[in-house]
Amino acid sequence: MERQALNRGPAAASRTVARGGGAAARTTIAYLFLAPALLLLAVFTFYPVVFGTVLSLFDYNVISPPRYVGFSQFAALWSDRYFWTALRNSAVYLAVVPVLQLSAIVLALWVRQPLRGIAWFRAAYYIPVVTSIVVVGLMWRWLYDEAGLLNYVLLRLGVVHAPIHWLSDPNLALYAVMGVTWWKGIGYYMVIYLAGLEAIPSYYDEAAALDGAGAWARLFRVTIPLLRPSILLASTISILAALRVFEEIYVMTGGGPIFSTYTMFYYMFDQAFNSLHLGYAAAIGVVLAAITALFSAVNFRLMRTGGLSYY
Amino acid sequence: MRPSLPRAASAAAAALVLAAALLAVPPAGVAPAGAAGPTTIEFWTISLEPFFTTFVNGLIDRYQRAHPDVRVRWIDVQPQALDQKLLSSIAGGVAPDVVNLNTETTLRLAEVHALVDMDRAVPAPARARYFPNIWASLRLDGHAYGVPWYVTPDVLAYNQALFRKAGLDPAHPPVTTEALIRAAVAVKQKTGIYGFMPNVDGIRFLKVFQEEGLPVLSPDRRRAVFDSAAHVALLARYIDLYKHDQFPDDTLRRGYLGATERYGDGQLAMLTTGPQFLLRVRSDNPDVYRDTAVAAAPLGRGQVYDLPTMDLAVPAASRHQAEAVAFALYVTDDENQLAFCKQVVIFPSTRQAAADSYFTRGGTSPEDRARVVAARELDRARDLTLAIPHSDDLYRDFREAIESAFYGRMAPGQALEWAVRQWNAKL
Repeated sequence: MERQALNRGPAAASRTVARGGGAAARTTIAYLFLAPALLLLAVFTFYPVVFGTVLSLFDYNVISPPRYVGFSQFAALWSDRYFWTALRNSAVYLAVVPVLQLSAIVLALWVRQPLRGIAWFRAAYYIPVVTSIVVVGLMWRWLYDEAGLLNYVLLRLGVVHAPIHWLSDPNLALYAVMGVTWWKGIGYYMVIYLAGLEAIPSYYDEAAALDGAGAWARLFRVTIPLLRPSILLASTISILAALRVFEEIYVMTGGGPIFSTYTMFYYMFDQAFNSLHLGYAAAIGVVLAAITALFSAVNFRLMRTGGLSYY
Repeated sequence: MRPSLPRAASAAAAALVLAAALLAVPPAGVAPAGAAGPTTIEFWTISLEPFFTTFVNGLIDRYQRAHPDVRVRWIDVQPQALDQKLLSSIAGGVAPDVVNLNTETTLRLAEVHALVDMDRAVPAPARARYFPNIWASLRLDGHAYGVPWYVTPDVLAYNQALFRKAGLDPAHPPVTTEALIRAAVAVKQKTGIYGFMPNVDGIRFLKVFQEEGLPVLSPDRRRAVFDSAAHVALLARYIDLYKHDQFPDDTLRRGYLGATERYGDGQLAMLTTGPQFLLRVRSDNPDVYRDTAVAAAPLGRGQVYDLPTMDLAVPAASRHQAEAVAFALYVTDDENQLAFCKQVVIFPSTRQAAADSYFTRGGTSPEDRARVVAARELDRARDLTLAIPHSDDLYRDFREAIESAFYGRMAPGQALEWAVRQWNAKL
């Protein structure tokens, strides 16, 4: 009976076990364990989500009472140039996701090897993750400076003949900030992929090797498919982070030049705290949430197969 | 627009938002003035710690001794965090009582009726203590929304060593903006180091226009007029300097903070800035500070200096408005303003304090010199911040136009015409 219950999934198993006695007590205890986290989620996530969504239907500036305006703020977004600029920039920013994930996988495969001093490298790659974004922003601002290290190296190597205006060129600034997101994030995703790689039993790889598969075939036919759950998790987190990018831009470019780094989240902040259009900012937030949900759903759809169920 | 939700749903939604908003505001009478203990008022300043901690604490101690029924809680806020923190506090029902703001933020908050009208709250004899032009700079639609505190007219700080290297005479610094540009070009040409970083970032070109005697608005203030041939020529002049690498590429991005940093590093020959920033140069690079001389800020054709003003505002959400206004008047009275001016090179907003001989006595340090120089500028100075409705929308358009022109996306004339069209549609 227990085996059948397990086959029907954990919920069914729990119900079956519960019928055996103490069901109410077990459920209560389970909820009590969940209660602190649920309470925190309710206060800091669910309430703001509901409040923000409702607020998008109101004209609100903190000072005066909210005034119901229906969907007019969403209609206004449609004809708002800055909204489309921000949306376009956020869409471009998403390009950092595949680059980041691919390089994090490569890095994880590399630091997984039993080489001398590899633990030091693992720690080194993780340092940017735990470094304050303000410090990171300032550091990269200096690196990107006209007379900064990056330009110095490129000039000395003869790659360029004049300094590159990394943060002042409207065609380049967004990519320069994306570079910082990549640099800061790679260590975090590397750890996710390292954990994913550790979870793959070595006999899959060994069996493939015995069957004569080469290193590339084993990587693309065995390791990557088995790593799909980690890729799903990491890429979803990465998409969310890319759509919510704010700090790097706030510290490094302030949305400029010519709004070329003005992303959805930055525009939301600008409308809320500089223009005091909190209802309008909430409407931007709702659109951003919808886009995020859409991308997450597509990602789940594309990545849901894989892992150990692959075989 | 007709609401598209069913009536019941709209009502429910309205109730939810109102309930949330009301929840954020504690009911009146939670901590009424005159309740059991003394009234506590919260006083926010901008970046006065750590340099002025002793001064502000002394100010508060004296006030508390004279007013045993009032306690003052001082909170120093970083400028970047001020707007966000203030709005969050107001929304959370824990608004501060007295807040140090600049003119731009004061006018923006006044636009949404977030501040107490000081023309009404302050008695006429007390108002008369302040320079009328400075008091007026905080007016929107005929009402003033802050008590002026201190003002900081720009001075020209320049690196004498770099001047000598460029063949310029340190005893004769530039006195006009034209001469400033010529000197900057000479420094760049002879030393390879930038001569200046003009204040053209963000919306500062609005002030550049006024300093050069070019109006931004029509006399009735209902139309933007900054697209004349003279305006276009002025913008084109700066764009040309930028294209010829006569000022750094981060000028539009980093503004005066970047300029101060670069000057402190010895990588800029001239810095047009508030005299209080000399403190930063002194602490960052004593060598550069030693080579620094101070002169009057170069004048444009408008013969007017900008006069950035700091004021003390009382949020309308303050629960102790009377005590807050009284404290703001105390902090900005003649005696306390003069005492503050003796701590750093700033200037009082009250007439009697400004008449003190302290502001005409020279000294040997760059700050002493800056004090005398800036005091002489006061009669030609006024706050050039514009009091306009929808300022954020308009400023966003203006910034886009100026940056588009600088980065070559639009011709200067085209950019200004576009911005004027945007402004006139919203003014």
